[in-house]
This record gives sequence, C-alpha cells and structure tokens, in this order.
Amino acid sequence: MIERLILLAITGAVLTGVSCSLVGSFVVRMNLSSLGFAMSHAAFAGAALGLVLSVDPLIVAIVFSTGVAILLGPLAEKAKLPTNVILGILFSLMISLGLIFLNLVPQTAMSSTALSILWGSILGMTVENILKLLMLTVGIILIFILFFKEFQSIMFSRKLAEASGINTKPFYYLILFLTGITVAFSLKLVGGLLVFALMVNPASSAYQFFYDMKKITLFSPVIGVLCCITGVAVSFLLDLPTGSSIAIVSSVVFGVSVLLSPKRRRG
Amino acid sequence: MIELNNVSTIYEGEKIPTLTKVSLAVQQGEFLTILGPNGAGKTTLLETINGLLKSKGEIIILGMDLKKYGTEIRKRIGYVPQEFTCDSLTPFLVKDVVLMGRYGKVGLLKSPTAKDYTIITKTMEFLSILTLQHTPVGKLSGGQLQKVLIARALAKEPDILLLDEPFSNLDLTSRTDIAQKISSLHSHGLTILMVVHDRSSIPSTCRRIITMDKGEIVSDKKFQVAQ
Repeated sequence: MIERLILLAITGAVLTGVSCSLVGSFVVRMNLSSLGFAMSHAAFAGAALGLVLSVDPLIVAIVFSTGVAILLGPLAEKAKLPTNVILGILFSLMISLGLIFLNLVPQTAMSSTALSILWGSILGMTVENILKLLMLTVGIILIFILFFKEFQSIMFSRKLAEASGINTKPFYYLILFLTGITVAFSLKLVGGLLVFALMVNPASSAYQFFYDMKKITLFSPVIGVLCCITGVAVSFLLDLPTGSSIAIVSSVVFGVSVLLSPKRRRG
Repeated sequence: MIELNNVSTIYEGEKIPTLTKVSLAVQQGEFLTILGPNGAGKTTLLETINGLLKSKGEIIILGMDLKKYGTEIRKRIGYVPQEFTCDSLTPFLVKDVVLMGRYGKVGLLKSPTAKDYTIITKTMEFLSILTLQHTPVGKLSGGQLQKVLIARALAKEPDILLLDEPFSNLDLTSRTDIAQKISSLHSHGLTILMVVHDRSSIPSTCRRIITMDKGEIVSDKKFQVAQ
C-alpha cells in the first residue's frame, strides 16, 4: 500500500514537474507571471467551489483559471486600468472566494480533501489523476513541438512575430489556456497557493544558464522534475505540506542558479 | 504597390485619431522617406501599412485588401521597428532572430529547410553580421542589433521594406554603413518606406519625401536628382 502511494506520488511529481516547468519556460519569458499567480488562485477558488457543489473540482478549477485569463484583457480595457491593478484585485478576490468556498464545504471544512487543494498533498494522487496528468503532459509536449517556432518568435517579440506574418493571437491564447489547465491539474500535488512557484522557479533557473530557447525548454522540465521529486521526498520524510516543500526546494534551486549563472559573469 | 485612401488610425482608448484621412500611393521600386516632428504619425503610418494597427479607410497592399489578407501581406513586408532593445539575458542568438523573419513564409507545422538557412546566411553576410551569428542578441551594440533587425526583415525576401528610424542611436560609422546597405537594396528594386527624424539621414538614392504633421501628410515631393 505504502509502495503504491509512493509510486503514485513520484509519478505525479514527475508529470507535474514536466508540465508546469514546460509551460513555465514560456510564461516567464512572456512576462505572464502575475497573470499566472492570479490564475493559480482562481483555480484554487474554482476547486473549492467544486467541492461545495459536489462537482469535479478539476473542471471548475479549469473554468475559473482560464476564465481569469479570458476576462483580464476586456476588463482592463473597459475599466481603462493598468493590467497589474486588475490582476491585483482578481488575485485577492479569488483567494477570498476560495477561502469562503472552503468554509462552505459541508461538514468537511478544513478536511484533508479541502486542505489538499490549498497546500497540496502526496496522498491525494490517484491513478485517475496520473492518467489525466499524463494526457496533459503529452498534449503540452506535442503542442510545443508542433508550434515551437511560432512560440519562439512570439517570445522574442509579439509585435515582430505579427509583422513577420504569424497570426499571434491564437498562440498567445493557447499559452494562456495551457497555463490555466496546467495550474488546475497541478492543484492536487502542489496546492493552489504555491502551484505557480513550480511554474516560475524551475523555468527561471533554466534561464540563468542558456541563451538558446530550445535548451531552456529542455532543461526547465529537468529542473522541475528534480524539484518535485525532492520536494515530495522532503514532504514525505518530514511530514510537511507537499506544495510548501516543492516551493522551498525550487526557490533554493533558483537561488543557487543565480549564483552559478554564467550569464551574470562579466566578460 | 501601396494604396491608402482616406485612412484614419485611432489608438484604443484615444479620441483623436493619430492618422487622419491619409491618402498615399507608392509605386513598385520607389524609395520614400517620411519626415516630421515627434507625434506627427510617422510610425503610425508604417504600422498601419503593415496592418499592425486597426484603421478605417481603404488600404490595398500588393494588390490585396489589408483588412482581409493582413497575415498574407505581412509575409511579404519586411519591418524594422523603432528603437528596439533587448535585455542582456535575452535567450536568443543572432541566427535565431534572423531566421524568425522567415517563419511566416515557412508556414504552420513546417520546419525551416536548407534553403531557409542558406537565405539567412546570405542575408547576414550582406549585412556583415555573419561572424555574430552565435552571439546572444542581448550582448550586441545598438548598431549591431539594428543590422540584425534589418537582416530579420530581409530574410523573408520582402517586396516592401518598412524602416522606422533605422539610424536612431547609431554612431556615424554605423549610420553610413546602414545607409549604404539600404541604398544598395533600393538599387536592386526593393520598395522602401523609411521614417527618419532629420533630413541629413536621408540616403542620396531617395527620390521622394513626404512630410507629416498632426496625423496628416502636409507635403509630398518627388525629385529627379539626389537631395
């Protein structure tokens, strides 16, 4: 039984590490970190609402997280406010809604299920979760292979990509959508509060070492998987929340990467 | 080759158009320079022609309606933006950035072929940046980066080249060098529209100058000899 739990946790960690870090390598370069934070908290609020309504938390989480991305542009435009102001408001609104929804979960407020979407849990992984994560990871890898040159061009400059004859809008929204569903799928392991650390930290670490986007996109998931496995091990051994352990490990890795970065040496 | 009839461009959230009922016709092989003070609408004009901004009025480029065939048209227009900068950690090498210029032409779900790589090598050779091909773009000087952006615009073998202040922030040597390259491109039949801030930057091969002010074309002069 314990072996099975450990195997599920490690497999989940590997898949979550790959999907989050792959998407993260694009999110970091495209300066979408703030949006990602808001999306991760929206996913948390959605999952909590799913628990209240007895609907699959994953589906509601996806609707909430991608909804934030889709709403952001029109909201900022109509209200004539900077995007960051709208993001700040959405961020606090979503975390508040999430906590209220958790409080409304019948009889299980603060139960392990409810808390797991907040902090993440190694015990929360099921075979069904693993299969869904596997499909997501394979899907992301395929999309990135098929459209890498378009994504690469957008990451250098969206305006220049558009000027060179690439219709950038669908690709931009594809990245937002992938970010939203990756965040939602990763809630089980990492939790809504810290899932975005797993997107930003490994990718930001990979950026410290290479000037080649292909190498960054390959190296980022490697760091992500190592962070996840180490984080799960720390969580298991010290009985700490999984999300926090992974976030701390990935933050340490980022700090070390900055110190070792050849990009920051003179000459 | 380029036809604008009563074209107005207004930025989102603004009330006054940056470009007001502009009409302009540019023939194949022409070299047109656009002059004017800051805020005259020079950059807006280039970005309107390139379809990067939404506008009202009729725009026909290369015989196609820009509103219907914007993406197709942009595959045939080379565009060098104004004062483009990269931070020192930008994760792209010179050869990657130049190759990106061809991605629109390469098309969806296809990879660049040997022909694409040959073309970008020749383009980098023409602009004397072949030795920089493995250099990260964030480590280039202003003049080098400008050449990379021009190479990127030329890599698609465009029918029209739009240059927005290609000499800004360049030293005299780089300025002369780039002006010679632009003149050479024109002599090979490329249609060029170039925005500059001052008359002294206009290459001698330019035969038409339009002046803009407050979103309108206030003068349009053609010359038989160099100015």
